[in-house]
Amino acid sequence: MSPFRIGLAIVAVAALAALPLYGSDVVIQFGINTLLLAVLAQGWNIIGGYAGYASFGNSAFYGLGSYGVGIAMVQWGLPFPVGMIFGVVLAVVFAFCLGIPVLRLRGHYFAIATLALAQVMSAIVSNISLAGQNIGLVLPPLNNDRLFYELSLGLLIIATLTIFWLTRSRFGFGLIAIRENEEGAAVMGVNTTLYKVLAFALSGVFTALAGGIHAYWITFLDPESAFDISLNVKMIIMAVFGGPGTVFGPVVGAFALSAVSEVLSSEVTNVAGLFFGVVVVAAVVLMPRGIADVIRRFRTSGWHYFIENLRAHRI
Amino acid sequence: MDLLAQVLINGVLLGGLYAVMALGLALVWGVLNIVNLAHGAFIMLGAYLAWHLYTYLGIDPFLGLPLTAIVMFCVGYTLQRGLLNLIVRAPMFNTLLITFGLEVVLTYLAQLAFSADFRTINPPYAGNSIALGPLVVPLARLMAFGVAAALTVGMWLFLLRTTLGRAIRATAQNLVAARLYGVAPRHLYAVTFGIGIGLAGAAGSLYGTVSQINPYIGATLTAKCFAIAIIGGLDNPLGVLVGGLVLGIIESLTVLYIGATYDDVASFGVLVLVLIIRPTGLLGKTA
Repeated sequence: MSPFRIGLAIVAVAALAALPLYGSDVVIQFGINTLLLAVLAQGWNIIGGYAGYASFGNSAFYGLGSYGVGIAMVQWGLPFPVGMIFGVVLAVVFAFCLGIPVLRLRGHYFAIATLALAQVMSAIVSNISLAGQNIGLVLPPLNNDRLFYELSLGLLIIATLTIFWLTRSRFGFGLIAIRENEEGAAVMGVNTTLYKVLAFALSGVFTALAGGIHAYWITFLDPESAFDISLNVKMIIMAVFGGPGTVFGPVVGAFALSAVSEVLSSEVTNVAGLFFGVVVVAAVVLMPRGIADVIRRFRTSGWHYFIENLRAHRI
Repeated sequence: MDLLAQVLINGVLLGGLYAVMALGLALVWGVLNIVNLAHGAFIMLGAYLAWHLYTYLGIDPFLGLPLTAIVMFCVGYTLQRGLLNLIVRAPMFNTLLITFGLEVVLTYLAQLAFSADFRTINPPYAGNSIALGPLVVPLARLMAFGVAAALTVGMWLFLLRTTLGRAIRATAQNLVAARLYGVAPRHLYAVTFGIGIGLAGAAGSLYGTVSQINPYIGATLTAKCFAIAIIGGLDNPLGVLVGGLVLGIIESLTVLYIGATYDDVASFGVLVLVLIIRPTGLLGKTA
């Protein structure tokens, strides 16, 4: 990374960190939502972008993180940080217990198995009385949006630094090797099962932490919203739109799509949800490798870039 | 004992309906190698179409079924020809993602057009049932099962005996060879996808007579269809029928012995278990 880019990143982080000083309440709340979505997109990036395993079940981690905080604070009266740790432990246990069998599957099978797992988790949680069954849990309120904002920003920075570490560590190279050719990676001595499960767990840790922060911020939890499938849609779309398997792509995707969707929902209500669907359809057809790739290649090929993508996979 | 027999009957009747739901998904997956995550949303659209036909025009859902299927076929054909043909050769993840996007779009459009209220198609005979000694067979469910079985067998014969069916199977086996023998893949892919969506529409109008419909039923139905396709395999509609019956019976038994809130846990649990134990499907090969 060049000094210029590092400087740019520091300025951007400083501007974001100072936002609560000059932004209005609405802006801060929008900021928390966007930052948490960016964390989710980064979390998905580890398993989906780097290891190449398209998880459609990361919302299971999100729900576990939320319920970790919820159960610890409401049922056991423990402080928030302990709840976060509890949520992370739940997510890691889940990743190891179910990751080992599920990560043996590939392609469609892995995607749908994880989708089903998220739904199973939602159905199981709505039957557990400790988790408040269908009614949900009400957390003690803490009216400090600035704190939640800085927490979310800190989490996003840690997640992005982790991804940056992936791009230059043995572990990250192992994951990329698995994505490009799993048998080849195994032959070269990569312990593929261990690497995949670790990537799944790492992805789960960030997702669970985001879920925990969100639960305490919203102060209400129920199985429907904690294991919401549309959250999965959003994190995948944001990561793919920005550029999966890149350090900043998912963050850019999350910021761009959140901003547009926020503007849309304030101008024309009800269209915001439709917007995500249309964006994903258009993105898959026109720019399947995300904004990062468009920026890289647009200079040389111009508008032909989109036409080339169109031609590449049609019959 | 009577209770168990009754639950088994309910499970079998439900399973027939599940089979016809999954038939289209398995066909599209087997031939086009696209797992259509919007399949459940198309079932939902079919159900709404049947509901409108019944509520505003008074057309019985069983009589209106061919009409619903034809309309949905046209939707599917257009969609494949205009959009999905652009990405059929893309990596698996892209095809999953684009159908995921379609699912989101269809769900929102349905919510805008039909509101989020629950609807049911209630023909006058909906409450009727046939008594078999101590057992009760609900008439609407029995009719839905009959239509579902007929569609499944019809589909099997169509794939086995007709020229178009042979062309579809040939394309599924080897696109290049099929092309050399004069199959036009763009048209054939669109026809196949159209048939898949037409079957989803037919399944939707049956679903509307036995269960409640709202814009959000799609995702769960897709996952169930996938489970059935995994259990039954992709190469034979009769396998899908078996898969549907297995899932229907498992769900009914779960409701009886474990609790009504656990039926989705059971069906998705079975899906995950089958995937882990035998990733190639219980019967025959999968894609």
